[in-house]
Amino acid sequence: MRRIWNSITDGMGFDLVLVGLAMAFLVALAGLPLIYNVMMSFQEVDMFTLGSLIRPWAGLDNYREVIAQPEFGLILRNTGVFVFGSMIGQVAIGFALALFFMLKFPFAGTIRGLFLVSWVMPGLVVGAIWGWILAGDFGVLNAILKSLGIIDSTMFWKSDPRLSIWAVTIANIWLGLAFNMLLLSVGLQAIPRDLYEAAELDGANAFWRFSSITLPMMRSTLGAVLALGLIYTLQQFDLFPAITEGGPANSSNVAQYWAWQWSFQLFDFAKGAAVSVMMLIFVVLASAVYVWSTRHEVRG
Amino acid sequence: MSYTAKTLVSAMALAAMTGGAMAQDDPVTLTVWSIDGDDRPGPSDTFSAEFNEQRDDIQIDYRIVAFDDIVNETLRAYATGNAPDIVSFDNPDFALFTSRGAMLDITDMIEESDVINVENYFEGPLNSVTWDGRIYGIPKYTDTIGVFYNKDMFEEAGIDGPPQTWAEFEADAEALTDPANNVYGAVFSARAGEEGTFQFLPLIQMSGGSYEDVNTQGAQEALAMMKRMIDNGWASQDVLSLGQWDATGTFNSGNAAMAISGPWEIDRMVDDADFEWGVTLLPVFEEGDERSSALGGFNLGIMSTTEHPEEAFEVLEYFASQDDRLFPEFGNLPARSDIELPETGTPEKDEALAVFQEQLQYAQPRGPHPEWQRISKAIYDAMQSALTGQAEPEAALAQAQTTIDGIVN
Repeated sequence: MRRIWNSITDGMGFDLVLVGLAMAFLVALAGLPLIYNVMMSFQEVDMFTLGSLIRPWAGLDNYREVIAQPEFGLILRNTGVFVFGSMIGQVAIGFALALFFMLKFPFAGTIRGLFLVSWVMPGLVVGAIWGWILAGDFGVLNAILKSLGIIDSTMFWKSDPRLSIWAVTIANIWLGLAFNMLLLSVGLQAIPRDLYEAAELDGANAFWRFSSITLPMMRSTLGAVLALGLIYTLQQFDLFPAITEGGPANSSNVAQYWAWQWSFQLFDFAKGAAVSVMMLIFVVLASAVYVWSTRHEVRG
Repeated sequence: MSYTAKTLVSAMALAAMTGGAMAQDDPVTLTVWSIDGDDRPGPSDTFSAEFNEQRDDIQIDYRIVAFDDIVNETLRAYATGNAPDIVSFDNPDFALFTSRGAMLDITDMIEESDVINVENYFEGPLNSVTWDGRIYGIPKYTDTIGVFYNKDMFEEAGIDGPPQTWAEFEADAEALTDPANNVYGAVFSARAGEEGTFQFLPLIQMSGGSYEDVNTQGAQEALAMMKRMIDNGWASQDVLSLGQWDATGTFNSGNAAMAISGPWEIDRMVDDADFEWGVTLLPVFEEGDERSSALGGFNLGIMSTTEHPEEAFEVLEYFASQDDRLFPEFGNLPARSDIELPETGTPEKDEALAVFQEQLQYAQPRGPHPEWQRISKAIYDAMQSALTGQAEPEAALAQAQTTIDGIVN
């Protein structure tokens, strides 16, 4: 008895208790809902059997029907545009800003801190604001573009099927910019200064210093940022109801919003679950990249 | 023992007695869920508070649920055994619950009731609470849509009166469009959602179709017309994403000459519009054609899980007995033919009301069908894909018809 107690207060047992608590927490709050969701995607779910676990088995029918929808291809394409457009935009602009704020100029740190405002704003608020900016007839962006002479007819960002997915992507790039910049800034600060000094002495110009020192040294940070970006973008939901509601004609609909529409507008919870399980596969892949790219970080 | 002390003691004794009496006879508590009272006082929240003041034996626990959440909330509550006793749904959502036995059959109770009389209700609203010939609720209030038009702009353009056919509607919209002053000829809601179906289904119906039969010649023409209006700039492309309230907002500010919307706009229009305006019935395809319009409005019903059906019915009776206050106090139209609406003193409002009351005679319910949400999606998806040019009107409607056939058959 005493030995067990000793082990709990000072030894293996203590570690096990800590790990066990975290595991129990994860299983209860992430694992079980996940299993419930996967189960639901293989069942016939009726709005009135939501509360029960045992429901008629549907096999792959839900998946088949979801894929057979005429909008499936369009939504897949939009999800690709949204995810990769957002990630590329966030990382490229975020990286540029991070490099910019590495320069020594007055208030660099303060201004960088102010960028975080976008990150702490709730998605619905950001969506509402971008909704006004991107409005067609009386939108802010159109007014600016017109006064600069870039466009002469109104651009219907929210209602033109060719523009709508980009409208949401632009808003999402803005929303995730600060987070990307911050992570990349941390990575940049970890690069030893003397590497640059040595390269400069050897006559390397700015482009060479960037491509042969900054980029290679940032590889694991970039991998992590891209993987996190993929996950955050796939779970970005608030902007869609606030800006386009997936329309017009599904031209800005993406998988995560589609899953919500199945479940909470059409009350077909099984199909909603099927869509989210398909998305899960992408997220698992992204998580694998994330774990792989951070494998060099200190482990206990 | 002084006089005051004696009074105090007897007062306490009295309090104890009445307290005891009340404890023996606890009031029955009923939960009522509705969207009323969210942004301004509505009928259900006001009547519930009054009911609570008048009655000691029944008390209402009233809860406001947002419009977008009420179906979901109720489904979840029903699935977990926490359903409210009385709930109020938008009329096309009602069949989802009646068809699954989630609502209480009140046909017999209504027959014995002195307050609620089936004959008094308009046919459309009554149909939406009926399932298999039995009645599962009562219409709370109703509404429909018509065409608001800017009389000043019509006069300036030399157009005699508001459009009576869709061809006139299109021609007027073209004539009234004035890009230099940011004026569109017309505004409506072709949004991907229930509002889109609400505005488009009447056109299908007046061309001889129904929600089960959407691919009519008239529906194809209507989509082609709407697309022409958007492509030519007679209507903003934003009609694809605007809801009715926001769309009519552009009419009120003088940026559109006509707007398709309903009586819920009247009060705001009286305040906001600084021009002469009027309302006309929804146009038809050919003069003399059968008219149609959308039927909006909410219903009230008792959920089948209630433990106090009689008391819940008493609450419904009280709500129904106050129907004559719906229009003067809340701007809602009663779904009943036996209630005279009083004059408001604002001539534009009274004229508009008369038009909407006439329009109500042609209003047809959406459904009732337990899978209305999926049927509705097929309809607004077809409308949107035709208006964005993704598909020709005929192909879009044929696709919708295939989807609907799969649901109704």
